[in-house]
Amino acid sequence: MHRPALLLVLLGLCAVSRATDWELSLDARLVSSDAYPSFMEGGLGTLRFGSDDSGVRLGRARFAITQPLGELWSAHLDASVFDDQGASPLGVTEAYALFRPYPFAGYRFRLKAGGFYPPVSLENRSAGWESPYTLSYSAINSWLAVEVRTIGLEGTLDWLGSRSGHAFDLGVTGGVFGWNDRAGVVVASNGFVFTDRQTPLFGRVGQPGVRPLNGAEPFMEIDHRAGAYAGLEARYLDRAVLRVLRYDNRADPTDIDTVSHVIAWDTRFTSAGVRLEGDHGWSAIVQWLGGVTTIAPQSMTLNWPFQAQFALLSKRFGRSTLSARYDRFAVQTNAPEVYGAQDGHAWTAAYLFDADTHWRFALECMRVVSSSANREEQGGPPLATETQWQLAVRYVIGSAIR
Amino acid sequence: MLSLFALYAAAGVLPAATLVVNVRTPEGHTLAGAVVTVRSLDAPGRHAAPVHAVMDQVNRSFAPDLLVIPVGSTVEFPNSDSVSHQIYSFSPAKRFQLPLYRGKPYPPVHFEQPGVVTLGCNIHDEMLAYLLVTDAAWYGRTDGGGSFSAEVPRGRYHVALWHPRLRDNETDLERELTVGDGDRAELTLRLTHGLQPAPLADRPHSWDY
Repeated sequence: MHRPALLLVLLGLCAVSRATDWELSLDARLVSSDAYPSFMEGGLGTLRFGSDDSGVRLGRARFAITQPLGELWSAHLDASVFDDQGASPLGVTEAYALFRPYPFAGYRFRLKAGGFYPPVSLENRSAGWESPYTLSYSAINSWLAVEVRTIGLEGTLDWLGSRSGHAFDLGVTGGVFGWNDRAGVVVASNGFVFTDRQTPLFGRVGQPGVRPLNGAEPFMEIDHRAGAYAGLEARYLDRAVLRVLRYDNRADPTDIDTVSHVIAWDTRFTSAGVRLEGDHGWSAIVQWLGGVTTIAPQSMTLNWPFQAQFALLSKRFGRSTLSARYDRFAVQTNAPEVYGAQDGHAWTAAYLFDADTHWRFALECMRVVSSSANREEQGGPPLATETQWQLAVRYVIGSAIR
Repeated sequence: MLSLFALYAAAGVLPAATLVVNVRTPEGHTLAGAVVTVRSLDAPGRHAAPVHAVMDQVNRSFAPDLLVIPVGSTVEFPNSDSVSHQIYSFSPAKRFQLPLYRGKPYPPVHFEQPGVVTLGCNIHDEMLAYLLVTDAAWYGRTDGGGSFSAEVPRGRYHVALWHPRLRDNETDLERELTVGDGDRAELTLRLTHGLQPAPLADRPHSWDY
């Protein structure tokens, strides 16, 4: 383990008091893949692991801590080590303070400050922003994992109808953030990918010097203009959640960072999704995300509209969870040689088995069929099929895990 | 017989009879767990004696998740989990909060007003429980056969039904009943609408709400 990682874990353990909740997990994978080289290695594959990554890999090593700070504040830190070829194998994926006053007269306000995910995903609902259904996230949530994060403030006001004799809860959310002026560079350069590797805050994607991403840093502030989002959430008891969000990083697409000479990517998107929970362990999620990312270097305006959708169906029986997901994704562009254009779909099937509170075993198969202008230009086929198998073993310990 | 009745009346105690309330779903199936409250119309000031009850927190759930208590009762809220909870109610019948805790650091909470008190945890939104604080003289929950019974003196009664997931208007389910000469008076309440779905029983703790 790297020295900073060890330091982080030691610091964390020192800070552990009786009121602290902590979790430490190790997720190892046996991978078999025929995919093109991963985007992390400058490849144009759509999967986390390319054919040259087949073998035993580290899925994720994670340490998380939640520390109450007085009665109404708490601090959360989620740090991970990933075994990919990225320049940021170690880092903090989320770190924030949460202000959570008591509900009053049926309403509750919450404030988050720090670095965290905007409230888009209905799939990544487990600790560490993981999915309890599959190993690989959907195209939408993989994209968020790679290059979208709120580094700023988020306020949420909920009307807790279910606590006052009604069947519904309603919430409105608003966020203001900086340091995400490069969100969009990966989806425009590489298209959508399927991964569960979360770029650490202020981390890089891929290696510097390796095209096309060149170790891109999604979390940069270039134009000194805050981005914003606003969202709505409605719930029916604990059975259904509807979530809608409009996001705009409000980046100036003409602005170039004076130090690194990289350009700001103006990215806007809307997402909408529903998650349904039925009796007998059934869950279903349908989610859509559509947006556009734009750069305007030297009086040109280049844009990449992108869309992704998925439908997921999952059934829990005992300690097992069986899930299937269908993703569709596409990127269009007006760039020369349709640089970055992509179109495809993917099937994912996963079986997760929680042997006990510590051990989880998982088997997942993903099959992605896609066209990619960039891949075709490099001599690839017009339509590529990539398949990735993963067998995962995860061990977790923590203050609340017995 | 008449003299015996007069004797009981003189003593202020009328002979007891069994009041039975059967609760049925719209489909006619028995409904277990519904709360029945019975008030005497002849002695409206009569209340049940206060009790001391315990509502624990186990596995990020309240245990039990529904208590019926007479006005003036006290309830303890220990936390048997390894994670901290932060209990609140903003229900008009009792507003209170128990700051972040594990174990049993707080004295019992006193419930002086009748009404429904909805409890939540400010950390774990999936946690939900109810206290029905009642000023009725007789109360209880229907058994597995959908029945509630109480030994009551002969007289006139007001019977009400409550369930946390009730869709029917509560006033539509109120009845008056006279317990007369027989030793048993029976009433069947049938819901017009089905209950709301029950909270998911097997939701993994690791899921967000």
